[in-house]
Parts: sequence; C-alpha cells; structure tokens
Amino acid sequence: MKTGSAVSLEDVRKTYQLGEPVHALDGVSLEIERGSYTAIMGPSGSGKSTLMNLVGCLDTPTEGTVVVDGRDVGSLSSRERTQLRGATVGFVFQTFNLMPRLNALENVALPQLFQGAGRGERRDRARTLLERVGLGDRADHLPNELSGGQRQRVALARALVNDPAIVLADEPSGNLDTETEADVLDLFAEFHEGGTTMVVVTHERHVADRAERIVHLLDGRIERIESLEEEASGRPSEPGSSD
Amino acid sequence: MRPLEYLRLSWRSIRGHKLRSALTTLGVVIGIAAVIAFVTLGASLQAGVIGDISPDDQRNAYGWAADPDVEGGPLAGAQPVFSQDDLETLSEDEEIDAAYGYMPLSTQALVYEDEISPQSDALVAAGPSYIREETLDEGRQFESGEREAVINPAVAGQFEENVSVGDELTIVLQGGQGTNVTVVGITEDSEGLSPFEGFEPSPRVYVPTDPYYTEEAATMLPGDGGPGEDGPGEDGPETENPETEEPAALQDGDEADDALFLAIVVEADSADDEDVDAARERALAYLESDESDASELLGDDLEVTLQTSAELLQQLQDVLDLLQNFIVGIAAISLVVGSIGIANIMLVSVTERTREIGIMKAVGAQNRDVLGLFLAESVILGAVGAILGTALGLVAGYLGAWYIDLPLVYPLEYVALAIVIGVLVGVASGLYPAWRAARTDPIDALRYE
Ligand SMILES: Nc1ncnc2c1ncn2[C@@H]1O[C@H](COP(=O)(O)OP(=O)(O)OP(=O)(O)O)[C@@H](O)[C@H]1O
Ligand SMILES: [Mg+2]
Repeated sequence: MKTGSAVSLEDVRKTYQLGEPVHALDGVSLEIERGSYTAIMGPSGSGKSTLMNLVGCLDTPTEGTVVVDGRDVGSLSSRERTQLRGATVGFVFQTFNLMPRLNALENVALPQLFQGAGRGERRDRARTLLERVGLGDRADHLPNELSGGQRQRVALARALVNDPAIVLADEPSGNLDTETEADVLDLFAEFHEGGTTMVVVTHERHVADRAERIVHLLDGRIERIESLEEEASGRPSEPGSSD
Repeated sequence: MRPLEYLRLSWRSIRGHKLRSALTTLGVVIGIAAVIAFVTLGASLQAGVIGDISPDDQRNAYGWAADPDVEGGPLAGAQPVFSQDDLETLSEDEEIDAAYGYMPLSTQALVYEDEISPQSDALVAAGPSYIREETLDEGRQFESGEREAVINPAVAGQFEENVSVGDELTIVLQGGQGTNVTVVGITEDSEGLSPFEGFEPSPRVYVPTDPYYTEEAATMLPGDGGPGEDGPGEDGPETENPETEEPAALQDGDEADDALFLAIVVEADSADDEDVDAARERALAYLESDESDASELLGDDLEVTLQTSAELLQQLQDVLDLLQNFIVGIAAISLVVGSIGIANIMLVSVTERTREIGIMKAVGAQNRDVLGLFLAESVILGAVGAILGTALGLVAGYLGAWYIDLPLVYPLEYVALAIVIGVLVGVASGLYPAWRAARTDPIDALRYE
C-alpha cells in the first residue's frame, strides 16, 4: 500500500446529525496514487470540503476507513492524527492562508516549527522553497504586502515544506484573476512533475483540466471519474459543461 | 515545539497590537508599582531609622513623664519632673551605668565670627555620653561643667567659613542673652542622635546640661513653674523674666539642684536585653518611689515612660506596617483587576485569531502548542507589566526616599517577587483563554470568517 496509494478511502460516510441526519459523504471509495494529480469537482454542498478534511486528517469518518500514508486515520488519537497531518499533508486554502504577522519566510517555516526542527534548518529549507516558487526576494514581506498570487505561492511553498506525501488545495485559485491563476496552476504542475501528489478541489473546469483525472462528486457520492491522462500534457480547450 | 519558540511567536503577536497590549498591562503595572514604591520607601525608612541605632544607643532607655492618655511619639505631652538629685541617685545604682537629663533649649541664633545665623531649636543639653564615640567624626565629647559643645555638620557648614574643632561659637538664647561655647567635637552626620530629636537631619549644637541648662533653669521660678507649663519646655518657662539672667549665672551651685529636666537618658551596663530591662526597672522603681523628687511632681496624672530606641521605633514600625498592608491590599485588588483585563483581551484575541489557530492546527500544531502560544502571550503581558511596574515603583520609591532624605535601599527580593507575581498573573489570566484556543476545532476554525 505504501508504494501504491498515498490515500485510500473505502466506503466512507460522513453524517452530521442536525435533527435529521445530513449525509455529507455517502459511501465514497477512492484511491489516490502516489505522485498523481487529482481534481475534485462538484456543485456546492456536494461534499468536496468534507472529503478534503478527511483526506487531510482534520476529521474522521462516521463509517468506513480512510488510510493516509499507510495509516488508518479513524484509529488514531487526536494527537497522532495531528502528528500525521503535520508530517504528511500540505494544505493550500482559498483565502486567508497565511499568518498575518509572520513574514513570507516565517510562514513557510511554520509547519517545521511544530515538527520540532531547529531554527537554522527551518530558515534554510523555507528559503529554498521560497526560491522555488519565485519569491526569494520577498522573504521579509508580510502577507498584506504581497499580491494574491504571491500569497498563494507562499502558501504552496509552506504546504511543501515538510515534504508531504500529499498536497491538498481547496479552491486555491478562487480569488485570483486569470493570469495569476495560470501562474499558480503552472506551479502546481511543476511540483507534480517533481513527484508531489496533488489533490485540487475546484468549481472551474479549466482548473480541473490541468489534473490527470477529475473526480465528480454529487450529493456525497462519486458520480464519475474522468481520466484526462492523454490530454494532460497539452491544454484541453474544451469549455466544459459543469455536470 | 520549544518554550523559547512560544515566547518568540507570542512576542510577535503582542507587538502587532502595541497600544492594546500596553493598555492591557496597565492594571498590572499600577498594582506592582504601588507595592514596589511603598516597599522601597518602607525599606528605606527602616534603614534610615533602624540604621541610626548604633550598638551604644541600644543600651539607652529614654524616659519622660506624661499623662498616660496622651498619644504620640517620644516626649509627647512631657512635663519636666526629673531633678539633678534624682539623676545623681540613679547614676549610683549598680545596674545603671549613667543617667543624665535631656533638655531641648530654644535659641534665637548662632553667631560665629560676627556672622549671625538664625536658629530656633538648635540647642540640645544632655550628658557627655549622649554623644557616643562612634558618632563623632572629629574631636571628643563635651565635658560636664565645661563651656564646651559638640556640633553636627549642618551647623559646621552653615557659616561662610566652616566651623572646626577649637572654634568659639556664641549661642543667643531665647531670652536674648548670649553664651559662649568652645567646639570640641563634630558629629559624622546631621541626623538626630536619639529618638528625642527625631530622625531628620537638622542643625544641632550639643552642650552639657551643666552649666547650660542649670543656668537657664535658674532663671525661672524653681519647682512650681515647671510642671504647670505644658509643652516640651522649649518656649514656656524662660520667657517670664529675662531680666534675672545675670544673678542666675552667679548663683550656679545652689540653683543647679532645682533644675528640672524634661527627659532623661538611662544607660544600662550593656545592650543585652537583661541589662537594659534591669536598668529600666531600677530607674522606674526609684522614680516612682517616695524617695525621688520626681514622685512628688508626678502626682496622679503623670506617668514615667522609659523606652529603648528599638521599642520606640517598633511603634513607628507598626504604623508603617499597617500602611504597607493597606497598600498591598489595594495593589492586590489592582492585580486582580489587571488579571481580568488580560483575560478579557486574551479571549478577544483567541476569537479574533480563530482562523490563525485553524491554520496552525492544519499545518501540524498540537493542542499543547496552541495552549503554549497563548499562555506565553499572557505570561509576557503579565511579566512585562510587572517589569514596567517594578521600574516605575522603584523610581517613585526612590524619589520619595530622596525627597525625605532617607538612604536608598534596594529591596531585591521584592523585585524578584514582583516578576514572579507578574508571571503568575499571566498564567492565571491566560489559562482559560489558552485552553479555549487549544480546543478550537480546526475545521470550524478554517470555516470561520
Ligand atoms: N459541521 C457541519 N455540520 C452540519 N453539516 C455540515 C457540516 N459541514 C458540512 N456540512 C454539510 O455537508 C454538506 C457538504 O459540505 P461541504 O462543505 O463538504 O460542501 P462543498 O462541496 O465543499 O461545498 P462548497 O463548494 O460550497 O464549498 C453540506 O450539505 C453541508 O451543509
Ligand atoms: Mg467547500
């Protein structure tokens, strides 16, 4: 399993009890291979974020099993889950991704802090990653001194800093203009090429088209899985009808 | 994550809200400053006062006769009742090393080489051993029966040219008559030599009771004039008949026996409590017995008090302690208010930074990391408040001590204690907010707008 799947979900259910039970996820089974690039699409409320939370070890399933990097998330204590998350998952969110009072370098270095890395080591690693996302000269800037695209790049650098088995992005380009969005997506592609497992949640077809496959969710179930393997290298121009 | 990292990160967020953090610590600053200021002042006062009791002074018992209902310090409501005979009898007692009268005398001025310096209460008449060897900077004690004086630096430095040992001074007494003295000694500092004088430095000329007081006493109506007048004899008796001054001086021998002293000093053989108590008991027993002249004058209303410096100071100390407890009480309330202020701001801060907490947890922060971060923040607020308060309190305390001219004392253990208290206030007020922060659910936190 360790070599094959970074994440594997088996008949996962997530139910919220609000008077009447809400099935945010209703029997999802999915394998995410190491080094793969997966997009998750679906209408609002279809369970995308819920799925991300499970894959990202932020949450545990009501039923079924979630295995991340070879470990059953449901059987872990909250401490162990946090430990696993810190070491194997990198997050990129839509907005307000960064700690407002830490500069770019410190933001990138933050996850290492919780892993107990020393200061010098953290700074070196963070600087390398900032350079890889093209922000070597912005290390001292606070988030509000950076553009939206630059912030997302810092967030991506931070997601990668602990060398995670998987990077999760929940609508990472939702707030960006087309050009900056293209920049960020190019970076995703670049890191994917470098061997990082990418999972991107999006509403937008052209974002999803950059992935190797698209998982379509509807009402907490996988509606279909669309493979884009062939077209992945060349950009598909098909405008894409949202399910 | 290491504790130092908590402090570093927390310091960043405190600096992010400078004004808010400053206002938050104000309660702690004020509370700690009040305590430190008063403790410094108290310690300085204590050092200034207790520091004056040299080992030699500790074998002295200071006595005066007053209505027991009169409250106050040494000499409050004192009446002159102690005769020269009584003192001589006491001196012969085997438990008593020496006994002599003490009498503050009113003056008009001091004259040195034609330079006149107006002085109202500069003259103190006492026995030779009142000037203790170790309080002398140069020269020697005056001798009884001689026209000699010991002066303090405040007198010596008062004239254009410094007065030194061997010089002649003229003292203009209350009645206007002048009397000459030869300076035979100068004391080290200008503070009082006994509780009778008070502790604040002021110019004083010490002279033997014989001849200076016995002469002056002779000018008033012997015996009955004394006890009838009130006040410490400074301005009462001798104003009545200034014309009779010359005869008084001539009649020396006989009249000396009629001089009544306002106060006495009884010196025990040593500073041991036992010796001091023995001397005191003997003196009291004699003064209250029918054999003494004093007993006649005491009547029913007056009572002799004989106390050591330490005991007299204890009364002052008690008042001081009471005041200090009161201030500490107020400061404690201020600290409680300060803690509530910190707790309140920390709760606001936790709510404000819900998303930040979510991000930190998403990237691997454990509950104890979040707890540590917020706790570090409130501890920094408390400790910074304590440090600022300590600095402020020390400055205020020293200004106060300097203003009333006391030696500066550094109450180091209180400074350390203040900082410990600041840290404790930080922990106490940060515990609940930090716990709230730590158990924030990252999913909720990340959804939080
Ligand atoms: N904490 C919760 N309590 C109750 N119901 C919840 C909770 N979290 C999510 N849900 C429900 O689960 C369903 C899926 O929510 P989820 O956030 O996964 O949707 P989504 O696909 O991410 O939508 P969007 O595209 O709008 O972000 C929704 O119907 C939502 O109301
Ligand atoms: Mg969502």
